[in-house]
Amino acid sequence: MVRLSDVATVSFRQVTRKRLRFLLTMLGIAIGVAAVVGVVSLGEGVRTLSVEMIKDQSDLTLLEVNADIRDGVMIPITGQKIGEIERDPAIAGAVPSQRITYATERQTFISALDAAYSGFESVFTPTYLDGRGVQTGTEEVVFGYDLAETLRRYEGIRIGDRFTLLLRDYDEEGRPADIRQEFILVGVLRERGDELDLLMITDSGRTEGPFDSVFVRVESPDMVFPVVERVNGLGLASHGAFEQIRAVNQLFDIIVMVLSGFTGISLVIGALMIMNTMIISVFERTREIGISMAIGASSGDILRLILSECLFIGIAGGILGNLLGVAFAGVINSVGRNFVIAELGAGFSGFAGADIVMVTPEILLIGMVIAIVLSLLSGIYPALKAARLHPADAIRSL
Amino acid sequence: MAAIIQTEDLQKRFGREVMALDGVTISVEEGEYVTVTGRSGSGKSTLLNIIGCLDQPTGGTVRIAGATVDYTNQHQLVDLRRTRLGFVFQHFSLISGMTASENVEYPLIFSGVPKTERKKRAMEMLELVGILDRADHLPGELSGGQQQRVAISRALVANPSLVLADEPTGNLDSTTGGEIISLMKSINDESGTTFLIVTHEPGIWIGTDQTIHLADGRLVA
Repeated sequence: MVRLSDVATVSFRQVTRKRLRFLLTMLGIAIGVAAVVGVVSLGEGVRTLSVEMIKDQSDLTLLEVNADIRDGVMIPITGQKIGEIERDPAIAGAVPSQRITYATERQTFISALDAAYSGFESVFTPTYLDGRGVQTGTEEVVFGYDLAETLRRYEGIRIGDRFTLLLRDYDEEGRPADIRQEFILVGVLRERGDELDLLMITDSGRTEGPFDSVFVRVESPDMVFPVVERVNGLGLASHGAFEQIRAVNQLFDIIVMVLSGFTGISLVIGALMIMNTMIISVFERTREIGISMAIGASSGDILRLILSECLFIGIAGGILGNLLGVAFAGVINSVGRNFVIAELGAGFSGFAGADIVMVTPEILLIGMVIAIVLSLLSGIYPALKAARLHPADAIRSL
Repeated sequence: MAAIIQTEDLQKRFGREVMALDGVTISVEEGEYVTVTGRSGSGKSTLLNIIGCLDQPTGGTVRIAGATVDYTNQHQLVDLRRTRLGFVFQHFSLISGMTASENVEYPLIFSGVPKTERKKRAMEMLELVGILDRADHLPGELSGGQQQRVAISRALVANPSLVLADEPTGNLDSTTGGEIISLMKSINDESGTTFLIVTHEPGIWIGTDQTIHLADGRLVA
């Protein structure tokens, strides 16, 4: 049995006997690997920047958990489920809430969130432009920034004002019979850039359900996806900025896959080059292979020697391909960045100072694996051809 | 003395018409120096290839050192080539990218002999054939006679009981050819290694223990 170190030594000598041929063959696979590394790095870079942008611009650790609807049946949020959510160690705070829609007497519709105010504060950590928070079980309300602006301008409602809202209800015969409710505005929130700007916050003091949603504050951004998994496992549906990240990831998975498919064509050409080179090489060495068999090489030894030559081409092609790929990614980064920002528009101006490519160890490892696997696969046919040579015929050939 | 080679009614047919060997029965004793002669196409090389386990007969049997060769058993064929047999070919038989000593070591690689041991044995063999000073030369840098000396070293390095040489002097001038013949004869005398040499040059017949004449695939008395 031939030692592996000897197989390596002998095949390395063979490969380096025809240096130019080896170099060109290796270059074929290296260019393919470089294309894949460059394109995947670009995909990963833009993906990471997009996700970072979402993280910066939105409140990632805030989740809104709703009752899930499955097969047309709503699965309500019970006290038991709320208890389980609250006990989750990765959740910093949770507040059950009920959404109610009111209208002013001038028919301006107002969306209100009725929740325990202490819980609301722990989840949303509100800051006040004016006034203070509400007291539990009172008529006090707080307005979001935009709502406060609208109602001040069109309804003349200001801090300290008492005002009446209508809650749409129906009598026994189905006719509208609105309920009138009195409120006092005690605070206005600072502008947040989220849904809260449009809401009115109340705390009716209600502790029993039904609740239609629970707002959850997750301890840290890393824990968001595991928390979503656990919450959804309770038969509830989670919503939040994480959904954008998920959508971006899915989109980039597809983009990277499609682009890799295109660059894969160059890999196929590289693989064919290796196969061609090895077939020629085996043909040229027919007599040498026959002599090797005469002096003791088995078919298996010949197979191992030829495949080992392909392995060298693959390793060298992988290393060179990764180096070229990193260089290619560098070119994309410096040349392509302004183009990408220009194409995507002002919303992506955050890309200006950042790298649009990201070369990770995983990408380089994949490049290496592709080069080696393709080289070995391309070598199978020539290696089998060599191993099946008939020694007496092979020695006769010149 | 025991027979190292025994063939019984050996036949080799190529296609339908050509009968390269037709009922060849020979016996070679251990330590003999045997030449196989005949015109071109008489079946000499075919006989050598079959005894050397490089080709398969279409009829008859071959026994090497008492054991019948099963030509369908690749494992046995490879094992015989590694341990019992050494080959010397007519020309271009060295691996061009390897030095003389690496060429001599080469068969030992397939038997899994460690590098230091291989190196030592290769040097001993090159010394035996008198070209130790050429150990680091590539085949292209050696004369025809020197290349054949390297080939003989390579054939002997695994310490085989039988060396098969196919026209070993075919590509050499008569002086060099004569030197190669006397080298093989002296190795045969000193180490007792059996030599079976295929040739069509009458000069080589001198001093042989047995001469096998072939014509049209048959033994000629």
